[in-house]
Amino acid sequence: MAYYRNQCDSYFVESHEDQEKRFREELRERDRRQKWQTQLAIAEDLSQLISCEYRDDVLQHMETMEGKTLPDVASIDIQTEIKWFMRPYLVDFLIEAHTSFGLLSETLFLTINLLDRYCSRRVVYKKHYQLVGCSALLIAAKYGDRKDRVPTIKELKQMCCGLYEDDMFTQMEWHVLQTLDWIIGHPTIDSFLQLALENVAYDPEVEHMACYISEIAMFQKEFVSKRPSDMARSSLALARCILSRPQALSTEWVAKYDSDTLFTLSKQLLRPSKVLRTKYQAAHLSRVSIILEDVLARQVSIGRCSANAPPTPPSEKCSENFGNFPHNVMPVTPTKPSQLVPGINNGCPTPPITPTHEEYFNVNQNPFKTNQNPGLGGIRRPPTPGSLPRFQQQAVPFSLPPISQMAPMY
Amino acid sequence: MDPSRGTSCARNINPQHTTSLPLTHQSSRNNLKRQITDQLVAPSDVLNYERTVKRQKPEQLPGSQAMDKRHPSSFQQLEKLGEGTYATVFKGRNRQTGELVALKEIHLDSEEGTPSTAIREISLMKELKHDNIVSLHDVIHTENKLMLVFEYMDKDLKKYMDSRGSGGQLDYITIKSFMHQLLQGIAFCHENRVLHRDLKPQNLLINNKGQLKLADFGLARAFGIPVNTFSNEVVTLWYRAPDVLLGSRTYNTSIDIWSAGCIMAEMYTGRPLFPGTTNEDQLQKIFRIMGTPSERSWPGISQFPEYKSNFHVYATQDLRMFLPQIDQMGLDLISRMLQLRPEMRIGALEALSHLWFRDLPQLRQQQAQQAQQMQLGGQGSMLMGGASGGGYGVPVYQ
Repeated sequence: MAYYRNQCDSYFVESHEDQEKRFREELRERDRRQKWQTQLAIAEDLSQLISCEYRDDVLQHMETMEGKTLPDVASIDIQTEIKWFMRPYLVDFLIEAHTSFGLLSETLFLTINLLDRYCSRRVVYKKHYQLVGCSALLIAAKYGDRKDRVPTIKELKQMCCGLYEDDMFTQMEWHVLQTLDWIIGHPTIDSFLQLALENVAYDPEVEHMACYISEIAMFQKEFVSKRPSDMARSSLALARCILSRPQALSTEWVAKYDSDTLFTLSKQLLRPSKVLRTKYQAAHLSRVSIILEDVLARQVSIGRCSANAPPTPPSEKCSENFGNFPHNVMPVTPTKPSQLVPGINNGCPTPPITPTHEEYFNVNQNPFKTNQNPGLGGIRRPPTPGSLPRFQQQAVPFSLPPISQMAPMY
Repeated sequence: MDPSRGTSCARNINPQHTTSLPLTHQSSRNNLKRQITDQLVAPSDVLNYERTVKRQKPEQLPGSQAMDKRHPSSFQQLEKLGEGTYATVFKGRNRQTGELVALKEIHLDSEEGTPSTAIREISLMKELKHDNIVSLHDVIHTENKLMLVFEYMDKDLKKYMDSRGSGGQLDYITIKSFMHQLLQGIAFCHENRVLHRDLKPQNLLINNKGQLKLADFGLARAFGIPVNTFSNEVVTLWYRAPDVLLGSRTYNTSIDIWSAGCIMAEMYTGRPLFPGTTNEDQLQKIFRIMGTPSERSWPGISQFPEYKSNFHVYATQDLRMFLPQIDQMGLDLISRMLQLRPEMRIGALEALSHLWFRDLPQLRQQQAQQAQQMQLGGQGSMLMGGASGGGYGVPVYQ
């Protein structure tokens, strides 16, 4: 963009040639991007091909495996030293470690699963809780990640501020493996999400939002013993709802989510951990934490407006209903047009964004997002709360939070 | 603040007690250690203390019963069967049952703990229980090594082919039977979302019942759907698929099918089909037979990282030239497996229902009958031998 401004200020005649050069560069860039797209498309075709052949078998196997690898909340309850309130701290620590090592997203889910499964089987001392967490991370990374990404024990030791000796990591790693009888192949929420999203057009926002929601849930005790497949379906349905995307057809596996889970999930969105929120502010994760906050803020303003507006039905009822809406009835106007997203990179959600601002980011920073949601393309003016269709006020399943509850989020 | 980070440094956690140091060899020091660790990191029965109420006495601990079985000394180590980069395989015998086993010893790197290959192999093998996959009986851990106890198989396919004389070529029925079993094993892996990624004759084990089983899951891994990107440093070069050689990281189940195709050809000729020396050489060897692909025959090929526009252009050869003994149907199957484009390669399940396998039950029956006849014939000759042996009795009568 700086380039543009220079050009406007300059009096040089060459600027015309420059523009041509720039044009050619742009063409080349577009060409390169197109090639990359074809490559992606090929990969996708390939995936679809195997999934045709093996999808059902794989799904069946994953569902058997998830049953075998669920932690038991009741057993963790009777731990003498470690308490549930400590867990979020450890999860925060593990998320930070996981992010800094750049591990696969499924590795985090696997780590937490290994941790909880170990804690359902062995008494863990408070001073070893973090060690168990680190060993779980180590095993999960070794299981799923590339060799060069797997953290070394030295790095883990540093992360724990030297709290544990080197051999304690190897011993604990061994003990975790032995306790879990070497059954590491837990199908994660993430892997179910991938499966659910394989046949739909790639929509990173939905994917990241669903991931964000399931990671928020990772902190909560009530989801520890929930099946990952349920969690994946519910998070996905909630993510689609938040982003006002059409839901899956009711005939599909994805649509069979548990409305109770979804409702409980929706209540957790108000207080995500700071670490998690920061993680999902990153551009490569579509800044979904900002989008979510924005949507929630909008909810509040709608809530305020709705004093005059027709009353909305109670939220519980909605959570049951909204999955049944056929996707073609869903209005195309979202609560949050995706084009606005990059505009809020400073962390403060500002609903009324001027059209010029929007164009600015739309053209330059977000070339992939155009035409993704054709219904949004024409929107230049963000909808004011009053102008939102009534349906949306119904469709969002979570209850409108009082402002006092919103406070800890910001 | 993190409470666990704030706590004082822990010196020793000794979680080993459940992995059962042998009771018989234990010194009193170990016993003491054991008592302490029992109080520290207690097994699940202690965890469920309130439910079970009375705590089990040490000698009744479940670990002590399993101990005899789980100690390395419960296996007699026999000759070395093979040596890999991360493990050595011995033949072994269970001292109690006399059963033969294969013992895979993995040296533990004290620096980084359990190797990722071992974690993957063991956890995947625990999921994969199938007739055509070698079964893992047990995992034993000692201070510096990990011992995997596998069912014993007589030979690997490579040695089996070498032992058959005839330049390593196998007969038609054996090839068909082995291919069928190989594809069944592969299909089972794929159904259970596991990619083997290292199929080669050395990793296919044969026993004297003519069973073939997939082994060595050290490079295997679970895949997601859709398949995510992996390292392309997999599979021994000769059996590596062209898309992987071209640098694709989004390969999938088709990678195992290519290897299976190469193995099928090798069973016919006794020689590897594409014995390349380097990545480029391997590609060239493949193109020389299968033809050099172009953007027209393989849309998108130019986007692969290792693609070069100056690949030597070869015309596609008839596979029959290289596999003179193959029949029409078998040729059709192998050419479906050896497709350059991964998406064109046949799947394992589909391959299993290929017409080429249709007469397999019949052939097996025939073979069984023949074997029976041979045996009968053998008995006949024994009878004859008996009769002739009777001839030796002649002097008695004289």
